[in-house]
Amino acid sequence: MSEPPRPELVRDVLGIDLPPERLEENLAAFARILEEIQKLRALDLTDVHPSIVFDPTAPYRREPGP
Amino acid sequence: MTRPLWAEPIEALAPRLRARALSPVELTRACLDRIAAVDGRLLTFIGLASDALEQARGAEAEIARGEWRGPLHGVPLGVKDNYLTADMPTTAGTTAPGIAFPRRDSAAVTRLRRAGAVLIGKTRTHEFAWGNVTPPVRNPWALDRVPSGSSGGSGAAVAAGLCAAALGSDTGGSIRMPAAACGVVGLKATFGRVSRDGVVPHSWSLDHAGPLTRTVGDAAIMMQALAGYDPADPACRNEPVPDYGAALGRPIAGLRLGVCRNHFFEDSQEDVERAVEAAIRHLAARGATVVDFTIPNLRYGLAAIFAIELASSTAYHDVSLRAGRVQHYTPDVRQLVEIGRFVTGPDYLKAEQVRAVLMEDFRRAFDRVDVIVGPTTPITAWKVGEWTARIGHRDESVLAASWRFTFPYNLTGLPAISVPCGFDRLGLPIGLQIAGRPFEEATVLRVAHAYEQEHDWVTRMPAL
Repeated sequence: MSEPPRPELVRDVLGIDLPPERLEENLAAFARILEEIQKLRALDLTDVHPSIVFDPTAPYRREPGP
Repeated sequence: MTRPLWAEPIEALAPRLRARALSPVELTRACLDRIAAVDGRLLTFIGLASDALEQARGAEAEIARGEWRGPLHGVPLGVKDNYLTADMPTTAGTTAPGIAFPRRDSAAVTRLRRAGAVLIGKTRTHEFAWGNVTPPVRNPWALDRVPSGSSGGSGAAVAAGLCAAALGSDTGGSIRMPAAACGVVGLKATFGRVSRDGVVPHSWSLDHAGPLTRTVGDAAIMMQALAGYDPADPACRNEPVPDYGAALGRPIAGLRLGVCRNHFFEDSQEDVERAVEAAIRHLAARGATVVDFTIPNLRYGLAAIFAIELASSTAYHDVSLRAGRVQHYTPDVRQLVEIGRFVTGPDYLKAEQVRAVLMEDFRRAFDRVDVIVGPTTPITAWKVGEWTARIGHRDESVLAASWRFTFPYNLTGLPAISVPCGFDRLGLPIGLQIAGRPFEEATVLRVAHAYEQEHDWVTRMPAL
């Protein structure tokens, strides 16, 4: 039988140091949101470019306003 | 019957101010007196400008010299407390220690000052604009109810006549929801139309700045002052700013009125549905062609906005999170900031992919329609401390329900306005939402104005 994850491992993976009971509370609160996010995970969006488009020219386009 | 000064819209005040038939000092004093009389019960302002009357005297002197700056000159406005201001502290609704904001004017505030407005104070926001209750603000139409949020202070202040208009910000509906709940007009313009420079960030790609006003005409006046390019906001677009006032009063005959029958017409309170359907029939009777359609991918919208908003907010608050300062946030906001850590990188990017899909779906819809109309919110203002609302035969979380119809326009960045369209059986305001193509705020205003002109909702004031 595998051991439950060590608290410090959970802390490092999430990047947040919470006592176990607080973590439990937050996971419970996240459950409703997770239900929605699982719909995203189930989607095949392989051919869709995200709405974020990297633009290397942005810092050079600081023209004055009209 | 003559209305008190504090109940007049800007479009009625401006000609009198310009003609010197009304003094900015008299008008500002009327608002300050109104605040003194009723804000002890509403709690909309977190702080007032100590120099409000001095600002008004300055405006008065300029107008007397013939230096009229436009329809906001000498008009008292409120500023949501997540906009930086040089002359008043900014808290973004937090009392957490170790968090301080610069004393400088945000771009929108600079533009309003340039337009000659009198900035009388800062209105309360839900902490970090992360919520839709805005404690401790109360709704002027029913003091035991919330004003919604997060711009609840601005919505309640405008509804109660404490200022002629106010700034709000909108990440998932935070201008339009309080506008609907408080019976005023709220306009979220196209993403990139109004600079967010100096607005405390909540979620960079969802945040919009904009006005809450008494009338659609006032929204056009505010937009004229606020819209325009600002290189300090990386999202701000250098697009021409049209004359928004010119769009008002034009007939709507021939316009194609889109009604998205899924999502926006699912699970509203009966009175909301009735008022909105009546508004659609009214617009159709004025010659608009109603086009029903659906966008099935909206079923993924909630997941997308959850992932983007949570991840972005947690990134913004990361230093406070690691330093333990979030333990001093209010419990709801603290939890949202903490659980943003559970959203993974791939979740976030899939949300941005869904967003691209929805943007394309709406673009296709706008091939067939000129505006999209529907309810702003499925529920009217709920009681303070209540977490569910009755919709039909079931109870739904108010937090989930309240932003259901507004967040699609944050995901897609499209302009959307909420205009009052009636009252429910308890006498609580209902909002009609009208959305348009990118940078077509003028069309949105035109339709909203056509509706408003033939109804008297905006002339009604809460009894306080």
